[in-house]
Amino acid sequence: MAKVLEGPGMGLMKKWGIHVPQYAVVTSADELSKLGHVNEWMKQSKLVAKAHEALGSRFKLGLVKVGLDLTGAVAATKEMIGRQVGSITVSQVIVSEMIAHKEEYYCAVKSTREGSEILVANCGGIEVESNWDRVKRLCLEVGQAPSHEALEKLAKEAGFTGSLAKKMADFAGKMFSCFDNEDAQYLEVNPVVTRESDGELVALDAVTLLDGDAKFRHPDWNFQFAAEFGRSYSKDEMEVMTVDSKIKGSVKFIEIPGGDTAMLPAGGGASVYYSDAVVARGGKLANYAEYSGDPPDWAVEVLTEKVCSLPGIKNIIVGGAIANFTDVKKTFGGIINGFRKAKGDGKLKGVKIWVRRGGPREKEGLDAMRALKDEGFDINVFDRNTPLTDIVDKALHK
Amino acid sequence: MSILANKDTRVVIQGGAAGVNAARRMAEFCYLIKRPLNVEAFVYPPDAGKTNEVPYGSGLIAIPIYKTIAEATKNHPTINTSLVYIGADRAMKGGMEALDDAHIKVVSMITEGVPEKDAKLLGAHARKLGKVFNGPSSIGIISAGACRLGVIGGAFDNLVLSKLYREGSFGVITKSGGLSNEIIWICSQFADGITTAIGIGGDAYPGTDYVSYLEMFENDPQTKAVVVVGEMGGDLEERAAEWYGAKKRRVKLIGVVSGFCQESLPKGMKFGHAGAKEGMKGEGSARSKSDALKKSGAIVPATFGALGPAIKDTYQELLKSGQVKEPVEPAVLPRLPKSIEEAMKADEVMVAPLIRTTISDDRGDEPCYDGYPASELINKGYEIPHVIGLLWDKRLISKQDAEIIKRIMMLSADHGPCVSGAYGTILAACAGIGLSQSVAAGLIMIGPRFGGAVTDAGRFFKHAVDNKMTVDEFLTYMKKNHGPVPGIGHRVKSLRNPDKRVKELVGYVKSLNIKTPCLDFALQVEQVTAAKKDNLILNVDGTMAAVLVDIGFPVDSLNGFFILSRTIGLIGHWVDQKRQDSRLVRLFDYLVNYAAPKRREVPPLK
Repeated sequence: MAKVLEGPGMGLMKKWGIHVPQYAVVTSADELSKLGHVNEWMKQSKLVAKAHEALGSRFKLGLVKVGLDLTGAVAATKEMIGRQVGSITVSQVIVSEMIAHKEEYYCAVKSTREGSEILVANCGGIEVESNWDRVKRLCLEVGQAPSHEALEKLAKEAGFTGSLAKKMADFAGKMFSCFDNEDAQYLEVNPVVTRESDGELVALDAVTLLDGDAKFRHPDWNFQFAAEFGRSYSKDEMEVMTVDSKIKGSVKFIEIPGGDTAMLPAGGGASVYYSDAVVARGGKLANYAEYSGDPPDWAVEVLTEKVCSLPGIKNIIVGGAIANFTDVKKTFGGIINGFRKAKGDGKLKGVKIWVRRGGPREKEGLDAMRALKDEGFDINVFDRNTPLTDIVDKALHK
Repeated sequence: MSILANKDTRVVIQGGAAGVNAARRMAEFCYLIKRPLNVEAFVYPPDAGKTNEVPYGSGLIAIPIYKTIAEATKNHPTINTSLVYIGADRAMKGGMEALDDAHIKVVSMITEGVPEKDAKLLGAHARKLGKVFNGPSSIGIISAGACRLGVIGGAFDNLVLSKLYREGSFGVITKSGGLSNEIIWICSQFADGITTAIGIGGDAYPGTDYVSYLEMFENDPQTKAVVVVGEMGGDLEERAAEWYGAKKRRVKLIGVVSGFCQESLPKGMKFGHAGAKEGMKGEGSARSKSDALKKSGAIVPATFGALGPAIKDTYQELLKSGQVKEPVEPAVLPRLPKSIEEAMKADEVMVAPLIRTTISDDRGDEPCYDGYPASELINKGYEIPHVIGLLWDKRLISKQDAEIIKRIMMLSADHGPCVSGAYGTILAACAGIGLSQSVAAGLIMIGPRFGGAVTDAGRFFKHAVDNKMTVDEFLTYMKKNHGPVPGIGHRVKSLRNPDKRVKELVGYVKSLNIKTPCLDFALQVEQVTAAKKDNLILNVDGTMAAVLVDIGFPVDSLNGFFILSRTIGLIGHWVDQKRQDSRLVRLFDYLVNYAAPKRREVPPLK
């Protein structure tokens, strides 16, 4: 799943005929004042300024300012740009026109196993959160588009009447077109409002999750996907991602600050069982990592170096199930090189390493790991006869 | 018995290199269970019309490659299953093509990173046609003792260790490829092994869910229990629980779910497979899935580690109730033939080498010439003539000898465009021929009349010196046995028009105060022959030959000095013509003496 920030998200909605407020994404207050000279709406409307970053609770953080004139928006932009929230530095601000409205509604399209589901409610904002039963759904099979009648029926079920029901049906139809054609996994507009000036329904906010795997058929996705954790990626995480994008197979790395048990397991499935075992044993994860699909040894080496660089770690779990085709000797070769480098750089002092693995060339790979003992590593190596997560029990045994 | 994949499964593989690799793994399994290879054909348009070679035992099987599924099934009507190894951007088209073929009932997609919408469309299309679409991101499907689809099961040794050569009693369904192997192994160690193991893929919406496969297992009498390895995200495990709890089922259900760590991670942090994402409102958590499975009556071990003992307990119950019997292991299992390299490493075979070398070895990190690493020779000041000494005569020559060789090479590197060698290369270059062939055209000219007399000259001078012949004895011997003396005589040079190269070389060697019996003898011969006819002088070939014999080079290597030196010139001529972009040349007819019969009438054919 790939999260898209509000600006590009609204851009996609606009592309599919959904009314959105006038908006601009700026990177400095200066840029905004220059835009103010050429964009009439910035002078004529009340404005909203929001930090354009993957941050939750922006309102509470003071990163949303409403009811501004251009001067106020420039000032707000100046204040927001460069602000540090956790690991994120605000580098963009989205400024949009305020839409005068009374009623707020809700509309979303989400992916389901069968296809998709269109959700509509005749309340919006925080009201819909506490009145979830007022959300009405229309389920669609994959490949099926909703008929106008079905959409109008949905709107009426949700409590819309008369011409508003027609407008809501039309709005939901466009949301579906956007969802279906843009390979979205989730689209949510909360609130949808009636613009007082012309009575049209307008999307005031956009939550957009796209299917990153479909990027190959959307050359116009020229925006970056946002980190999904409410924080930006660290330098080491970015480096591993860059490696991941270049290789056959995969390497993954996510830091979890404050943990003391470092993870270096193989496989998208086994890695989560290892993480579960650490948590179940009362350990604190220092990261998530995973390599799979027979990646080249140099990629595993890069991953290993990053894992060894995690601060304050006491154990490293080099776990893995019995591989189908990942060459254990080769991938362990990468890990061993990474360990040696880390040790040479003065890392891994007092760190215990725990290994369990099976698969092609397991004996050679495990023997090579065992030999690290002679180089002064505190390493414990187990083969397939030790159950998968037992090394975690041994590592965290008090 | 088994589900999905059985002894009648005949396969077409869609895709290139990854598909061929899978076929190799499948052939290993077929070999283990002593059945013919189940792969009938490949579909891969770039290689259509060719074949892929798949090792089976110690032999190779050629499997045809077709452009389309229709062609494959037309030629191999027993095909009923397709494995898709096509890239994510073309996977849907390939999957649809397979589903739409009447012969094919099961399509399993291995491709990772397929867009969610494409996977859903494939799944829906298969359901509409009453077929099975498994995957995407599936590691494969394996039925013990019957059929392997894809690389599931791993290396040959693992197939044996996991007892996949014969049926057990446990079905396995996993999202994770790596864990499928782990569970197969556990089932073989804690129980009697598996019937069928299916990797359904870790995507959010796999084409076929747990329930469909649970139904199939329920209807397979050999399967007594099913192990489901789940993950947070989606609702497949909840649906499986619902199915299991709905009525009394024949099969026992054992389930584990991963993702409990999510509860103690920073909010919003998710990882694992694409499908391992909790829903917006918390549905699909590991806990809710695990609870649902427990509630349905399934056996749910607290951790992955407890899975083995749980499987063991289940197996013991089945044994006790008489539903299963202890399996009988076959006495002998086929062993996968080793490659020559593996067998030699294990000291199991002795191979008579095909060739033998005594001069160089490339097996380390750099070439060694007669044992000396090239870089060390460089760094200790040795030069090209020393490398020649090592590779041609297996010895490190002295600095002085090296200087003689260097001078010989410099003197004979080129002799203008008119001589046979250079002219041959220039003609070829003008005809647009490449460097190596053009140089070869020039080298071909080197023979008894041009540059190729060095070896023979050396041989005969050496013969004379070794046998202490006088010049007269030598000339008589040559006349009687061999003809003109090689190394004596020149087309244009003579006593009055001496060859400066000879003078230079003789002068240098003489100045060194070394013993040069061959050279001395050759010069004596020249005095006699040149007196008879003034162009019967010691030529450059003869001089080189005598000197090289005197500094100890073997007679058979002597032509090599001319060939090596002149190659420098020939390359120069080719580059020179190329640089000038020379045009094709041909002889002018006035340079030819047309001595053929005059034009005449062709008689009627008899």
